[in-house]
Amino acid sequence: MLKINDIHKSFGKNEILRGVDLSIDKGDVVVILGPSGSGKTTLLRCINFLEKADSGQAVFGGLQVNLNDASKKDIHTIRQKTAFVFQNYNLFNNKTALENVTEGLIIGRKIPKAEAIDIGKKALDKVGLSDKYNSYPSQLSGGQQQRVGIARAVALNPDIILFDEPTSALDPELVGEVLTVMKNIAKEGTTMLVVTHEMSFAKDVANRVIFMDGGVVVEEGTPHDIFVSPKEERTKKFLKRVLPEDYTFYI
Amino acid sequence: MSEGLNYTFLIDTFFIALSGVPITLLVTIVALLIALPLGFLLALTRINQVPVLNWFSRIYVSFVRGTPIIIQIFIVYASVPLILSLFFEKYNININVYNINPIWYAFIVFSFSTTAILIEVFRSALSTVNKGQLEAAQSVGLSNFQAYRRIVIPQALVVALPNICTATVNLIKATSLGYAMSLQEITLKAKVAANVGYNYVEAYIDIFLVYIILCSLVEYGFKLYEKRLRRYKYVSA
Repeated sequence: MLKINDIHKSFGKNEILRGVDLSIDKGDVVVILGPSGSGKTTLLRCINFLEKADSGQAVFGGLQVNLNDASKKDIHTIRQKTAFVFQNYNLFNNKTALENVTEGLIIGRKIPKAEAIDIGKKALDKVGLSDKYNSYPSQLSGGQQQRVGIARAVALNPDIILFDEPTSALDPELVGEVLTVMKNIAKEGTTMLVVTHEMSFAKDVANRVIFMDGGVVVEEGTPHDIFVSPKEERTKKFLKRVLPEDYTFYI
Repeated sequence: MSEGLNYTFLIDTFFIALSGVPITLLVTIVALLIALPLGFLLALTRINQVPVLNWFSRIYVSFVRGTPIIIQIFIVYASVPLILSLFFEKYNININVYNINPIWYAFIVFSFSTTAILIEVFRSALSTVNKGQLEAAQSVGLSNFQAYRRIVIPQALVVALPNICTATVNLIKATSLGYAMSLQEITLKAKVAANVGYNYVEAYIDIFLVYIILCSLVEYGFKLYEKRLRRYKYVSA
């Protein structure tokens, strides 16, 4: 459904992505792991054109575009098919939770207001925020804000949702509620591409794990492949650093 | 000569000064109507580093900030008629430039100076809105224009409003310099009235009062508007 070919991106002299390929099928939950600075976030941002890649192609459900010089129309089309969940939520501060969810539907997709509100309420119910329709982001905890962020993405009914470290900015006790919501929507068959440091999520929910380092994909496979029998030295080193010693015990 | 204040004159002149309010307000409003959109657009050129315009706005701002308004008035009031008369002569247009109502010059000078101030006001206000707000808006399918109109500007406006209020009040006060080009506003009207019997102290008190009333009302209006705009900010959980 989504194919990325040979994507390159530099910031000044700093080469962040050095030719990454990626292929995602409908219903996949793909987790990208890797040390910070390995280009995971940049990859995600380039797919949604929040960052302009230096070169590379994307094939998205029959639409083929160059990531470095896509037309405004193509960018719009791809953004209509994707949704993005940000590390620091990026909820619209001047809108209520419900308005945050309906904004893209009413303005971006021209869905009638009543229908959009209906969809928005259902999306918020799904993330357990039925009592927060009219709360502004400043009235919500980090975990609640991120759940609104997820509802905002889900409501758009996109072909794929891109998650950029959705729990990294949260207090540890709030991580669980967000991961639970993500697990639920994964179970419903939503296609997801997730950059995260939550190993438990990668292990339990992903059907494919990609390990990136230094701007390239080092290794990819099922969670079992990566966590239990990693082949590459860099993967082993990384896992040793982030996982507790007796991790294999839990698998 | 120490007869104290002439109270009848004080009261009469108060109403004369008050009759200058419409002109003062007209100049203020026209200047704002021109300066608000123009200042906003030029602020955008600075934030987005638009090649030539960015450079132009910078020079424009430092030029206006670095010169007193009274000098700007003198320059415009002296040079624009010269340029216009040359132009009219060349194209045989039969208009006497010296009959042009000074309010047109006032529009030019005050729009010119207020734009420069608002460029800086908007520039600082826009930079307080996190870039993520724009990105989030784009990611849910809003165009740049929609994202600015619905997400970025409403948030920037809350930040900008106190400074826009200051700029407006400063503008109202600055229009008093319009007397230098015989603009029929508050200051000039009261001063002309005072010329007859040398009742300058009374006239100045009247001018003082009219401005303070006018500016207080404007400030109050801005406060109400600001309260409405920022309702999303300080609501308790």
